Amino acid sequence: MTLDLELRTVGKVYDNGTPAVIDFDLAVTKGEFIAFLGPSGCGKTTTLRMIAGFESISSGDVLIRGARVNDLPPERRPTSMIFQNYALFPHMNVRRNIGYGLEVKGLPKAERDAKVDRIIATLGLDDVADKRPDRLSGGQRQRIALARGLVVEPDILLLDEPLGALDANLRKAIQNELKLLQKTLGITFVFVTHAQSEALSLSDRIVVMNQGRIEQISPPHALYTRPNTPFVAQFIGRNTILDGEVRGLANGAAVVETPLGVLSGAANGPVREGGRAQVVVPAEAIEVHAAVPGARESVAAKTGGNVVAGRIRRADVVGHVSHLSVDLPGGRAVALEAHVDKYPPGAFRPGGDILLAWTPAEATVIPAA
Amino acid sequence: MHSTVIKPILAVYTGLFLLFLYGPLLVLAILSFQTGPEGGPQFPIIEWSTYWYQHLFGLTPPSRIAPLPIEESLVRSLVLAVATMIVSTVLGVSAAQAFRTRFRGSGVVFYLIVLGMMVPGVLVGLGMALVANTLGIDRHWWGTAFVLHVVYTFPFAFLVMLAIFNRFDQSMEEAAWSLGVSPARTFRKVTFPLIFPGVLSAMLFAFTLSYDEFSRTLFASGRDLTLPLAIYGTFSVEIHPNVFAFGVLTTLFSFALLGVYAVLMTLSVRRAKRVAIQEDA
Repeated sequence: MTLDLELRTVGKVYDNGTPAVIDFDLAVTKGEFIAFLGPSGCGKTTTLRMIAGFESISSGDVLIRGARVNDLPPERRPTSMIFQNYALFPHMNVRRNIGYGLEVKGLPKAERDAKVDRIIATLGLDDVADKRPDRLSGGQRQRIALARGLVVEPDILLLDEPLGALDANLRKAIQNELKLLQKTLGITFVFVTHAQSEALSLSDRIVVMNQGRIEQISPPHALYTRPNTPFVAQFIGRNTILDGEVRGLANGAAVVETPLGVLSGAANGPVREGGRAQVVVPAEAIEVHAAVPGARESVAAKTGGNVVAGRIRRADVVGHVSHLSVDLPGGRAVALEAHVDKYPPGAFRPGGDILLAWTPAEATVIPAA
Repeated sequence: MHSTVIKPILAVYTGLFLLFLYGPLLVLAILSFQTGPEGGPQFPIIEWSTYWYQHLFGLTPPSRIAPLPIEESLVRSLVLAVATMIVSTVLGVSAAQAFRTRFRGSGVVFYLIVLGMMVPGVLVGLGMALVANTLGIDRHWWGTAFVLHVVYTFPFAFLVMLAIFNRFDQSMEEAAWSLGVSPARTFRKVTFPLIFPGVLSAMLFAFTLSYDEFSRTLFASGRDLTLPLAIYGTFSVEIHPNVFAFGVLTTLFSFALLGVYAVLMTLSVRRAKRVAIQEDA
């Protein structure tokens, strides 16, 4: 199988000695949609810029279709970069902007025009093709930038927070277009974002980064449901994280003693008996039960003992969604939401005692940091 | 509340500023219409006339007042200003481009460049004269003086371009590179058109500073005088309103220059605005 992009223990150290990226390893097959996700300053953009050639590579190798590109300048790499601020050339009209890469490559005019026309049609830019980019909307400009980057037929399209400057509705629309475009063209996309919803809905695999290091590389669903590290557990999704000590390990399930009781979940990573661990419970996995006498035992029997008591602090209904804010013993709060049918208004009152329960398979146990 | 106090103060301040800026010029302009050849450079105006303008162009009957010896010096000053403008702007743009990436010793180099506009002109001029004498180099307006003009105006061009590059969005260049455009071509086709308003400003600075440079040129230019030196030379004998007439014409020339600059500027600012909108969105 040929890899479109390979990063081998790539590192970046700035001139002042600060490491920005540490031992980045990644192999991307052709046509994959990869997202680099992480908080600002985690090194995701630096990594992207090393692939593009805008940043020098301090250590390791970057390979594109098997060829080492470390020493190639950006204009000789088979990559195209899409920027958050679009970076369109304001002194050229839309058509010239899009065709500029081909123009410079010296393609005959007829061939060039045909390619430009095709991409203009694909992205629905016919109406604005002869306008200057300055008066166009953000969405149109980002489409122009995409067209300009794609028309040169790069092996890899690099996108640096391309939706960051768009408003929420437009972002959603362009997101869908982007996904469709990528599937149709079959080009490898590497997409940098700090918005997890973007990464989760667009990509085939997500690389979560923190402080220059990769925390986890997983497909979206696995990332969401099975975090590998404490950072991922608190960065992705809405998880309740409970610290404790591992009391038992069997068939991939771990039993952990926590201040809220003995809880169990699927072990992920090097969990060992007697070691410190965290139980990660997604908000979506939690079921709410009324705290009537005897309920705790009957619920515990169904959920492998995964029951904790809580007290309702707030209950709101917004449209079709009920929000519950529940205080756990020890001062921790859990936010839950569900369709209004599930948590009907009036059924839960602030100050009321309830039980929270989840099945062991939906919880994940990871080694503590 | 504040504006009732501050606004009148600001208005007075602005009025005074304009008065001191244009007052001297206005007095000169009025006196240049003094009658000649008997009228002198003082009030009252005996009779309004354009005598001194005609005198300037040698259209008056010969009199005891010699025509201004400016013809050759004007040409020299213009040639010198244009040459200085070209060299300083090229140097300024290149140096500012170099400063876009921090390099070792960039701080020192920065102050070395800026020093050229800080040091007292008379001293530099004198120093240049001494150096030229020591090395046996003849002093000429196109040689020693030209070098000093460049040293003097280059920092201005450099600072203007530094400010321009400071606001320049580098992702535009990176976008071009990633499309396969070489850095040299990117500079010509993407960067330069976008920094052009700044280049115009740098050119204007260099030209005007060189055109009326006096102190450095005084010692460094040798035998052939530039315009400011030639005009100053006439002062030492006796002042006639023909100097004022010439002053008015030069000022009009400067305004014309500003006019050209304004037109070119509007054209490119219109373009720059588009960039700004693009960035804001």
